[in-house]
Amino acid sequence: MSSRSPGAAGSLVLPGPASTPTGHRDPSPTLGTSTDDRQPAFFTLDHGTATLAGALVGRVDRRWRLLAAAALPAGSNPVALQGLLVDRLRSADPACAAAIGCGPGEGAEPPAAWPRLRTTSAPTPTIAIIAATERTCARLEEAATGAGWNVVAGGAERTDPLALTRLATRPGVEALLVGVADPPDADEREVATELAVAAAGIAARRPGLRIFLAGPVPEAPLLDIRQAPITVRLPAPAGAPGELAASTLRAALAAARGGPDDSRRALAAAAGSLARVLGLRVEILEIGLSGAARVVASPGRADDGRITATVEVIEAPGAALFRTDRPGSIDRVDHWFTQGLDRARLRDRLAELAIAPWRDLDADGALLRAAALRGAVERLLAATDPVLGHGGVDLVIGAGGAWSAVPGPAAAHVVADVVRRPGAVQVAIDHARLLGPIGTIADDAERDALLADLGEDLLLPLGTIVMPRGLRPNRPAGTLILETGGARSEVELVAGGLTLVDLPPGASGTAELAFRGTLELGPRGRRFQVAVSGGLAGLMLDLRDIPLRLPERPDRRRELLGTWERGLWPERDT
Amino acid sequence: MTGWLELVPARGLLVQRPRIRLELQPGDRVTAVVGEAVHAGEVVAERIRDPRLVEAAAPPDGPDQGIPLPGTWLPGEHARAGRHAGAPAGELLFEHAGRRRLATGPHPDRLHAPADGRVLEVEPGVALVLEIHGPGLAATELLGEPHSGRLVVLPEDSDPRLALDVALAGAVVVLPGRVDAEALARARAMGIHGAVVGSLAERDRRDLAASAARQQAGPHRLAPFGVLVIGGYLRRPFAGAVQSVLDAAAGAVVGLVGDPPLLLLPADRELPLPKMDRIVVRGGPEAGREGRWLGPGGLRRVRGGITAETGLVALDDGRTVAIPIGELERFAALVANG
Repeated sequence: MSSRSPGAAGSLVLPGPASTPTGHRDPSPTLGTSTDDRQPAFFTLDHGTATLAGALVGRVDRRWRLLAAAALPAGSNPVALQGLLVDRLRSADPACAAAIGCGPGEGAEPPAAWPRLRTTSAPTPTIAIIAATERTCARLEEAATGAGWNVVAGGAERTDPLALTRLATRPGVEALLVGVADPPDADEREVATELAVAAAGIAARRPGLRIFLAGPVPEAPLLDIRQAPITVRLPAPAGAPGELAASTLRAALAAARGGPDDSRRALAAAAGSLARVLGLRVEILEIGLSGAARVVASPGRADDGRITATVEVIEAPGAALFRTDRPGSIDRVDHWFTQGLDRARLRDRLAELAIAPWRDLDADGALLRAAALRGAVERLLAATDPVLGHGGVDLVIGAGGAWSAVPGPAAAHVVADVVRRPGAVQVAIDHARLLGPIGTIADDAERDALLADLGEDLLLPLGTIVMPRGLRPNRPAGTLILETGGARSEVELVAGGLTLVDLPPGASGTAELAFRGTLELGPRGRRFQVAVSGGLAGLMLDLRDIPLRLPERPDRRRELLGTWERGLWPERDT
Repeated sequence: MTGWLELVPARGLLVQRPRIRLELQPGDRVTAVVGEAVHAGEVVAERIRDPRLVEAAAPPDGPDQGIPLPGTWLPGEHARAGRHAGAPAGELLFEHAGRRRLATGPHPDRLHAPADGRVLEVEPGVALVLEIHGPGLAATELLGEPHSGRLVVLPEDSDPRLALDVALAGAVVVLPGRVDAEALARARAMGIHGAVVGSLAERDRRDLAASAARQQAGPHRLAPFGVLVIGGYLRRPFAGAVQSVLDAAAGAVVGLVGDPPLLLLPADRELPLPKMDRIVVRGGPEAGREGRWLGPGGLRRVRGGITAETGLVALDDGRTVAIPIGELERFAALVANG
């Protein structure tokens, strides 16, 4: 028998700033992209499609601390939100408020000099793709979807110019991508010029349409029209479909879609910082109303000894929270929903939530959100697994308003239900929506230092999930011995269920797992030693099947899911 | 800040002199001219039915001829001696290598201006942009086609299956109660031009779309018909502010448009505007009630264990309740040109 330590090597308790890598610090940081050390506090504002989230971060005892945070429906006034944050701090801790210069006598409005770090997630724009062949069209479509665009596409092989023109001039289409392979395939050479002429025809009808040319598409026809559009030359689609991670075209399209304050791109920068600061492999599952993204950041070490991070980000507009236009998406929400609801009613409620995502927050509205969140995470993983894989990570972070619409332990349960990978993983949520705005800080070292400084304020720890594969259901599986701060507890494990062990936020320890048979927990074995950290859900020993198998009969499935859900969300019925 | 009122998201109620887009497709013939005034019901374009793509040889260049711009309407050309086979009249998609691609087909349908206004822009085959003289009542979606008619507001407790009859032909009817696809199909068959509804379930939307598609596929099409949805998918009553505007506009000629979704109202009617601190509860146990904003209610835990920012509202029934701000809505009375 061997003792192994798969995953969860680090802890969510962040090290102090002294351990962060040193780097260049901008001596005169720009307002809006820096926290500006000369100011005692700054605001973060995440303008989401559904939610306006704000936080007040102040310097207390020479450390940046989260002082107040709030989330309101999108459309609320950001200045009013900032005022609310200051007001709340004044009520809760007048001394702290006075220390950062916003005490009761300092005026009602929040100080204008405090920097604001802002991110925005706009509704997913639509791009029309016209390509010479279906093959190239598929590659372009993959790249554009992975870059966060909604796509309408057609290849000249099967779609006539009239249909292509109608496709590209539909209401809502904001950009046109014309592409051929580089070098053009034999069947593309003759069509490339005609495609450019067709694109010029479309551009003439739709002044202001953004035009992207990928590969050797001639630009001349576009320059001939009366109001020549601004065209952007992009790399040609390369590689086989599915090779998105290496796609320079995808990166270029992502840059063209989002501005400098795009929240999903900013999340990638923040994930890189987290990986560097924590020394952990970090995965962010961002689920929003208008789109979704998965970010995986892995720490490494450069030749000169500096800590680096490799970051991969893939967007999946189809994994937006209440998006139900994909085949089977309603069925999956129904699959996870623990309340009986007929399909037509379920569809209407999801469609209503897509229009008004903050409605019906309580009672079964919250349960419906949790089911929709599970469906969205499933879609996100399905869209990104071919590229990012489904290998283990050390820390999974839920980002986006969807994760805050359910209680913390229930959010951990969502991760356990859907992210089915053998191993041990810490789970947290970006409760104050800080990661995106902090990701807009341009300087890596400044961003890293801020994240390290914020420490445990940054993320809301939900706990650790330990998920072995290979157990036989409903049989004694083995024993867990948990050692935390000198205390020792022993738990008998039964396969097929979810065992919860109290481990509060801030606590950490070691879990020794002794199984009766050989199984997989990262590596294969019978005895494992895993570092665990606490959270709102504590230590979750998920001894269910991988992948999760649920009863086919809806009533039995709901009952079983409800039993697990009740364990982590006791208030669901009150 | 008025007692933190701006924490509550505001929804536009009326749009001043809205800029609307009437969708076109390649092959449609626009008869209106940019800058020209149009009146409700006037034909502004002829719609193509079953457009097809035709490839024709470009005529040999004359001394003053260049390549026409894409979107240009080209008259038909007769076949000439030699190898020129002629071409039907149609809209030029593009010209390449001496060949023209044209969108052509019969034009049996007419597109009418939904309200009085002015033609701002013509994007051939894409949209006709109008600036409307009167204000527009904001909605969420138009199902069907833009249209206009006299506004008739039915009582809230009326059953649309009984209340709709041929006397309402040519009208736009407001159906405040429960509405289904069958009632709307009946309305269409009776020659009613359109309906304004508070909400419509997805199933009814699909049934309505399928019914419209069947009508469009037939040789004898019915007149255009539009259903303007003010809310969403779940049944909710009209907010008081919306109902007041509809009541005030009753009897006038109004228009229905989808881009943006608006009920176009006459310019000469005085419309009531809601009070600034008037709050509508859009969800939760108090859904549909209205009241007055008192101020923030702090973070509170609601049923189900969710914690949310709340606001204190003095409801019209005399109670003061703390309601999650996400369930609240207020109306920004006038919104600039949309």
